[in-house]
Amino acid sequence: MRIGHRLRSSLSARISLWTVLFAAIVFIISISVVAFRSRNAVREEAIKGANRVLENTILRTNYILEDVEDIANNLEWLILKDLDNPDAMMEYSHSIVQNNTILNGCSISFEPYFYPQKGKYFSAYSNNNGRYVYTMQEGSDNYQYFYLNWYMLPKLLMQPCWTEPYTDQEEGDEATMNLEMNVSYCKPIIGNDGNFIGVISLDISLKWLSETISAVKPYPNAYAFLLGRGGCYLVHPDPQKLFYESFFTPGLVYALTPEQKQLGKDMLDWKEGIRRLEVDGDPSFVIFRPILTTGWSLAIVCPESDIFGGFRRFRNTLLLSLILGLILMFLVMYFIIHRQIRPLSRLASHAETMASGNLDVELPHMDRTDEVGVLNRTFRYMQVSLRKYIDELTTATAKRERIEGELQIARDIQMGMVPSTFPAFPDRQDIDLYASMSPAKEVGGDLYDYFIKDQNLYFAVADVSGKGVPASLFMAVVRNLFRVVGSAGLPPEEIARQINNTLSEDNEQLMFITMFIGRINLEDGSLSFCNCGHNPPVLLKDKPEFMQCEPNVPLGIAPGFQFNGQSIEGFRGTPILLYTDGLNEAENSAHEELGNERLLQSLATNPFKDAKTTVLMLQGVVSAHVGDAEQSDDLTLLCINLKP
Amino acid sequence: MNQRRLTAIILALALSLPLFAQSKGESTIVFTPQWTAQAQFAGYYAALELGFYKEEGLEVVIEHPNASRSAIDRMRKNQSQVTTLPLSQAIFALDSGVKLVNLLQTSMNGSLMIVSRRGVNPLKQKGARVASFRAGYDQLARAVANELGLEYEWLETASLLNLFIAGAVDASVAMSFNEYYQFLQTGLIERNEDIVYRLSDHGYNIQEEGLYMTREEYDKNPERARKFARASQRGWEWVAYHQEEALEIVMRQIHRNHEATNPTLQRLMLEEVLDLMEGYESGEREYVLRGEMVNQAVALMLKAGIIRTEHTIKELLP
Repeated sequence: MRIGHRLRSSLSARISLWTVLFAAIVFIISISVVAFRSRNAVREEAIKGANRVLENTILRTNYILEDVEDIANNLEWLILKDLDNPDAMMEYSHSIVQNNTILNGCSISFEPYFYPQKGKYFSAYSNNNGRYVYTMQEGSDNYQYFYLNWYMLPKLLMQPCWTEPYTDQEEGDEATMNLEMNVSYCKPIIGNDGNFIGVISLDISLKWLSETISAVKPYPNAYAFLLGRGGCYLVHPDPQKLFYESFFTPGLVYALTPEQKQLGKDMLDWKEGIRRLEVDGDPSFVIFRPILTTGWSLAIVCPESDIFGGFRRFRNTLLLSLILGLILMFLVMYFIIHRQIRPLSRLASHAETMASGNLDVELPHMDRTDEVGVLNRTFRYMQVSLRKYIDELTTATAKRERIEGELQIARDIQMGMVPSTFPAFPDRQDIDLYASMSPAKEVGGDLYDYFIKDQNLYFAVADVSGKGVPASLFMAVVRNLFRVVGSAGLPPEEIARQINNTLSEDNEQLMFITMFIGRINLEDGSLSFCNCGHNPPVLLKDKPEFMQCEPNVPLGIAPGFQFNGQSIEGFRGTPILLYTDGLNEAENSAHEELGNERLLQSLATNPFKDAKTTVLMLQGVVSAHVGDAEQSDDLTLLCINLKP
Repeated sequence: MNQRRLTAIILALALSLPLFAQSKGESTIVFTPQWTAQAQFAGYYAALELGFYKEEGLEVVIEHPNASRSAIDRMRKNQSQVTTLPLSQAIFALDSGVKLVNLLQTSMNGSLMIVSRRGVNPLKQKGARVASFRAGYDQLARAVANELGLEYEWLETASLLNLFIAGAVDASVAMSFNEYYQFLQTGLIERNEDIVYRLSDHGYNIQEEGLYMTREEYDKNPERARKFARASQRGWEWVAYHQEEALEIVMRQIHRNHEATNPTLQRLMLEEVLDLMEGYESGEREYVLRGEMVNQAVALMLKAGIIRTEHTIKELLP
């Protein structure tokens, strides 16, 4: 956890680690390639070495065996020359052993009764016992050589052959038993008539071969073994196996592995090759070659642990050096990077302080011209800029707060300028009147007003061009003009004319106002009105409809205009709704207007009940239509019903 | 050559044996098993080592034959008093005029087989060259081959394994407990190959090994012979229940006799021999010579011309 936190919070540790990791990957790939090639080279060398040993041993063996074969060939010629003289056979047998030191025995043996004068058996046998050569006729009822392999094999095969090796055991202590390896070369004697008449058998000791093979030890745990034609171990480091056990003996008890089985078969089939398999539990290479003269097979077992021992030690040393090198590299890099970016840490600390609002913190002084130096200078510049910006922001905010306060006051004043007490005329039960005004900004340019003068109810709804403070001031002027001019008892068109003339004077801002001015005679219930460019009011009959109004120009555009008034008799009982375009032109977020049709539909589906209900209903309709969108225009509603 | 030296030693022994036997007095029994030292004779080694013979008041010496001189020859010449023989060999001896008494029948089944060297079923090798034991014991194989009209050329040899390895023969007779495992051990054949004709699997299950004495010797002292048989049976029963220890006794005998073998072969041999001792139907060691098996062997051997006259179990019984 602490290391993880340290890595996350320390750039130098992270950079060092990534660099070391990358270096480790590069090194490991390189070392793997080198190791793979080296391993192959070591293996090839081991196999070559083993093959050389095998080749030399086999060459030497063949050389001696061929010598013996030559001796037999020469002897056969002598035997055939003196075939009618059995005693000569004794001499030949003797002199062959006497004159050829590699031989330790020779027999010239014949078929039963071949020499009738000698009886059933005649086998001239000489032996070199190490001290002298003795010769005897060894065939007898107790030694019926006709049934022994050295005699039968050449007879049956009708060709020379080498017997399987055998041991010449001396009686005595078992522990010191002599296990000298001997072998016989047996050649059939073919008479002049082409018939088999006997066998020449030459015995030699292969002690030197046993010793040579036993000495083969290219690696500490490597060893060589020699298999006979029947799979029997002729040479093996384990004396218990010699001559008694075969390569296949373990297979009698448990199944040999396919690799073992194949190796055994290949060796019996006189093949040469290399096999990798487990020998006594150790993965090993077995390199084998046949001795074709005799049909034996010589093999060297090299445990992999031996072959690759040196290589593994080298590889382990290399890996250890690599690991130590990488650790050192990490530490050095960490130190250098940490030292190089230490100003950054200080800078980060100061930036943190600055971020908490303290812009007066002293940044470190740095003469460096590299990226860190540039960053430090940038920070300094940023600190100065921030200070300046925040000062300006503070001033601007104070100013805005002041204006917002003033605007709030202006709003209160503006809202106070329109009557907002309902019922508007508590003493007149026949007048049902309700109004509302919602500016789009703090103050707006809409206006409504009403008052009773001489049994006439004067009322008006107006909408100044533009919004905000200028519109609100213009609205205040119009409201005062309406009150002043209306209180003179003038008809609506006259009120409109006078207001227009007054507004048009000194109207440098070229502002104007649409206005609907109405007067209801409370006695006869007639309505006179003048619509100065304003939205036509809606008559809330059973089927609501827009009032038909004659067109007049908005007020304030230019002085001197004449305004046309209109009258409707018997207006009592007909509710009228006056409004500004904040109603029918209210926009939702998709900039779709509410529209006149939807306005009429809303009024139709909510039949008039009283003025307040209608106004609140329409506010609800606008609110539902606008949704989350910002209010686009001032909204003013005035509903009047002169009850019958 | 080892055979020669061994021969010289055996020859010396053979010449001295009558004197040797006499010197030990009449109570000494020289027992010559039919073959060289191996687990086939574990029961007798055990009886000797554990003192079962001594407990019967017998002095017993075990002397093995050599490769080119059979046990029965030794008995004929009074070089030994007791031997083991397969039933067929005992019948053959009877026919040759040697009167024998079966003291104890250990084997209840036949182990004889013909194993091909050429990787084919022996029944398909008409006229093949087949190696057989120089010492005999293969009469049934010859009789059955004759019955089947295989016209084999039989080659007697004292070097069965060497001829087999060299490929000098097409097939060889073998005992299921001995030569068969030796052949398998060469790697030249495999256990699952259809190259083995086991006589007992084809209606020729004829018991083999038993303890034999010449009738003349038996009549001298029947009680002594019975004691020998009783102690030998006790030896075999002990072996059946103590196979590991028996194997150690066998290996000691083998080392004493310098035989070329190994513990694996001897273990397999002992297991097989003990199996062969169990009656085919009873599954128990019966120690009984069966009349119907004697009759079948006699009939086969007569038909093949191996023996000339008919013989019955009575001639072999005490």
